[in-house]
Amino acid sequence: MDQFIPLISSSINDTIASLSYFESEVVLIIGFLTVILGDLFLSKKFPQLCFGLAMGIVLLVFVHSFSLLNVEPKVLFGGMLILNHLSILFKILFCLVSLLFVLFIRYNKPLQEHEKGTGDLYAILLAVHLGMNLMAMSSNLLMLYISLEMVSLGSYLMVGYISNDLKQSEASLKYVLFGSVASAIMLYGISLLYGFTGSLYLTDFSFISGLQNLSPLALSLSLTLVFVGIAFKLSAVPLHFWAPDVYQGAPSPVTAFLSTGPKIAGFAILIKFIMLLQAVNIASSTIYSILASIAIASMVLGNFAAIWQNNSKRMLAYSSIGHTGFMFMALFVLPGQGYKALIFYMVIYVIMNMAAFLILDEIEDQTAKQNIDEYVGLGKQLSILMPSFVIVLVSLTGLPPTAGFTAKFFVISTALDAYNSSGSSIIIIMVIIAAISTLVSLFYYFKIPLNAYLKESKQPTIIESSSAKTYISVFLAFLLLLLIVFPSLIERFL
Amino acid sequence: MLSLLIFLPLIAALLILILPNRVQNQFKYITLGVSLIQFVLSLFIYLKFNSSAINAGVNKESQFQLVEKLSWIRLDLGTIGNLEIDYFLGIDGLSMPFLILSALVTFVATLASWEIKTKLKAYFSLFLLLNTAVIGVFCALDFFLFYIFYELMLLPLYFLIGIWGGIKREYAAIKFFLYTLFGSVFMLLVIIGLYFSVSDPITGNHTFNMILMMDPANYADGSIFSALANQNLFGMSARLLAFIVLFIAFAIKVPIVPLHTWLPDAHVEAPTAVSIILAGLLLKVGGYGIIRICYSIFPDAALQSAWWIGLIGVISILYGALNALAQTDLKRLIAYSSVSHMGFVLLGIASSTTEGISGAMLQMISHGALSAMLFFLVGMIYERVHDREIANFRGLAEIMPQFTAFVIIAFFASLGLPGFSAFMAEAFSLIGAFNSEQVNGLLPRWMAVLGSVGILLGAAYFLWTLQRMFFGQIQLKGGEDWLVKLKDVNMREKIALVPLVILTLALGIFPSLLFDKMNASILAFVQLILG
Repeated sequence: MDQFIPLISSSINDTIASLSYFESEVVLIIGFLTVILGDLFLSKKFPQLCFGLAMGIVLLVFVHSFSLLNVEPKVLFGGMLILNHLSILFKILFCLVSLLFVLFIRYNKPLQEHEKGTGDLYAILLAVHLGMNLMAMSSNLLMLYISLEMVSLGSYLMVGYISNDLKQSEASLKYVLFGSVASAIMLYGISLLYGFTGSLYLTDFSFISGLQNLSPLALSLSLTLVFVGIAFKLSAVPLHFWAPDVYQGAPSPVTAFLSTGPKIAGFAILIKFIMLLQAVNIASSTIYSILASIAIASMVLGNFAAIWQNNSKRMLAYSSIGHTGFMFMALFVLPGQGYKALIFYMVIYVIMNMAAFLILDEIEDQTAKQNIDEYVGLGKQLSILMPSFVIVLVSLTGLPPTAGFTAKFFVISTALDAYNSSGSSIIIIMVIIAAISTLVSLFYYFKIPLNAYLKESKQPTIIESSSAKTYISVFLAFLLLLLIVFPSLIERFL
Repeated sequence: MLSLLIFLPLIAALLILILPNRVQNQFKYITLGVSLIQFVLSLFIYLKFNSSAINAGVNKESQFQLVEKLSWIRLDLGTIGNLEIDYFLGIDGLSMPFLILSALVTFVATLASWEIKTKLKAYFSLFLLLNTAVIGVFCALDFFLFYIFYELMLLPLYFLIGIWGGIKREYAAIKFFLYTLFGSVFMLLVIIGLYFSVSDPITGNHTFNMILMMDPANYADGSIFSALANQNLFGMSARLLAFIVLFIAFAIKVPIVPLHTWLPDAHVEAPTAVSIILAGLLLKVGGYGIIRICYSIFPDAALQSAWWIGLIGVISILYGALNALAQTDLKRLIAYSSVSHMGFVLLGIASSTTEGISGAMLQMISHGALSAMLFFLVGMIYERVHDREIANFRGLAEIMPQFTAFVIIAFFASLGLPGFSAFMAEAFSLIGAFNSEQVNGLLPRWMAVLGSVGILLGAAYFLWTLQRMFFGQIQLKGGEDWLVKLKDVNMREKIALVPLVILTLALGIFPSLLFDKMNASILAFVQLILG
């Protein structure tokens, strides 16, 4: 015991020094508590207090994260967290997601009208946001697991927030069950890694050398188990099966959040492992072929299954599986090259996916329609919303003149560059599959404008007045057009 | 200057979007005004165009005219260096003629848009957006920029066919979209591959500059599309494969047999104005792409495939003509005649002779004007009685003498009567194909012979249609009712048709109007591909 006493002061110093880089997380923690208290005591008097608080906190975190850009890599809290440029980019992305999510909750009818109120949801969001931030920074297996669980628990609550009917209850129960099994498997993998190497720190020398000396079977077993947990978050094939049901059953804002926030956080962790394996320099070609296979499977399954969907949320669920596959393609970069294409893609993906769900929800609010074949003739009636939807869908397909094209272009460039330097044929097959799946995706995305514009409806639908969601989505659609002309608006921060 | 030409319609489209619906009857005048300004600008460009050999362009960046170059996207991609994408416009003798054609066809198509009565705001803004994209394609010299304009054409066209089209419009619109996108997604892969192979000799960055892609010296050693490295992909020369992918992408647009099946559907379902743009301009984008991109960047692969391209050209000529003979719908007949006429373009290009390529270029301009005229004429009948079955009309010459006069001009010009542009164009293409065996040994003579059979078939279906519909006793399916409705050509229609007649006559009698401007570029182009 005595030998630790001299360490105390240095560890305290380290913690205090770390705290200054931990401000945004501290803000989130304080914010989380404030929102809970505010909801308890003041929500009767100021019904939108929690909304304002959540909004302000997320904005504060956003500004703070932004100011840390281009920071030198910092090791915080004795190696528990590592703050670097990439993790800050992820944190900014999470702010973007949360910001849109908060707005989405504010203007979502079912949530606003529910007797439970939305105060708790904002609080959960802030907690999940904290979890995602920690996921992006963690460099310790235990930290990683805890933050992942933090995100998962929050997500379970969100999905079941208003379980009005059986379908929604089924969705949330399914999510909890599958989610906890996946986390358990991941925990098992982590414990194996710890057992084999004797260290939990990803950057630790003993961890890396331990991995290098491991037999291939043991290594692949433990890594596969860890990947199961990550792939579940990413909803990548073959761990995608939960996504369509949960996405359809959850409230629209939550679906929009799940398809962006935790997915991006999952990529943040995946990148950590890939970088680790690159650093160790073991089995890199096997890892790449596994990643490529997952990418191909996700693109094929996501895009082809989406064709048969009629429920619009379910269709977007499958399409987001396809997008996961696309993001996998951006992982094929050489060590030390950064993940610019991936981050760019994610920014655009967040914008367009959030916009798509916002618009779906707005259409549902205004016309009570959820299925694509019911959208007949809506183009005429929703004269602002539908054109924005078309822009968003074009962007999701990845065609000019939208930023979705630029994003897709960067990703394919990255993958082809990887092919150029490695010459492995699975990458070129993956790229060709990506091209084909773009073609397929056109088919189902364009079912919406096809119904809305090309078909005439017999009787006009009753339209209720539009809400602020319309204007938010118009703004997002405009952003997608703006960003193809000025991609440097994002690019210069990468 | 070029930017103005490209973005003027876009600005007008935004203006139309902002204006309230109660002034919607003025939208067509705004559009017409834009196309007139464009026409004046393009005439100005034509007159100022320097056609001397030192301004030939093609593969020398310094020789392009009206160049505009701004750096646009610079993304640092780590080891492979910066992504260099420029906003790079410029014209040479191979693209300049298309500017005039675009302005003229847009003008005619706007006049044809008078028949559109619903959702005017959306219609005219999409129409102008399409115009922006088409002109952009002809001016862009950066491959990325080219691709953006190229894809931008699809969306407005999808909605223009899909919303204002005929009964099977949904099917036709999505079929058109999927066909074209099928070609272009793979084109994107080739573009990126080219980008990794080519670097700018000055900055050292990888680049999308098309002109730099034409110089073998700019390819990195051992890169995938380097001519020296001769890499293989899927057991095939990578350059040949890339050429084929690009060729298919553009050939779908041209269209070639057997990738033409979207065309009759799209034409039949599209409203008249869109048919005019489709036949008059979009098919030309295919031909232009083959010349500017496929041939210029992959000349070696192009020479290897010349025989096949020539064969495809001949098959398109004959198959299109035979199909046209069998049609009962006048618009479908004209759509198939387009397939046949565009076959001459391919044949001319495949010959890789100066005559052949001049013929191909002239054929594109000439067919642009003539198909616009033909579709406009069909649209006139359809607008009046909502029918265009050939068998339902007889003796129209007596009811509509002026209309018949225009039809006779258009038909005779299209079937290649001397004195009209199509004759010159087809003659030059065939001469090129015929000489090819002697000059460079690429095409056998029988292809030229079969091609000329196509002219014969063309005469057959046009004359037969003329005889069936316009001569003989008056016999209309709609009886008295139709007799009242079938009024002769009105002022607006004359304004649209006369410039087209003038163009086709002028180019038929003085082809040098165009040849002089293009010649230097065509010589440079032939020099480039034959090495």
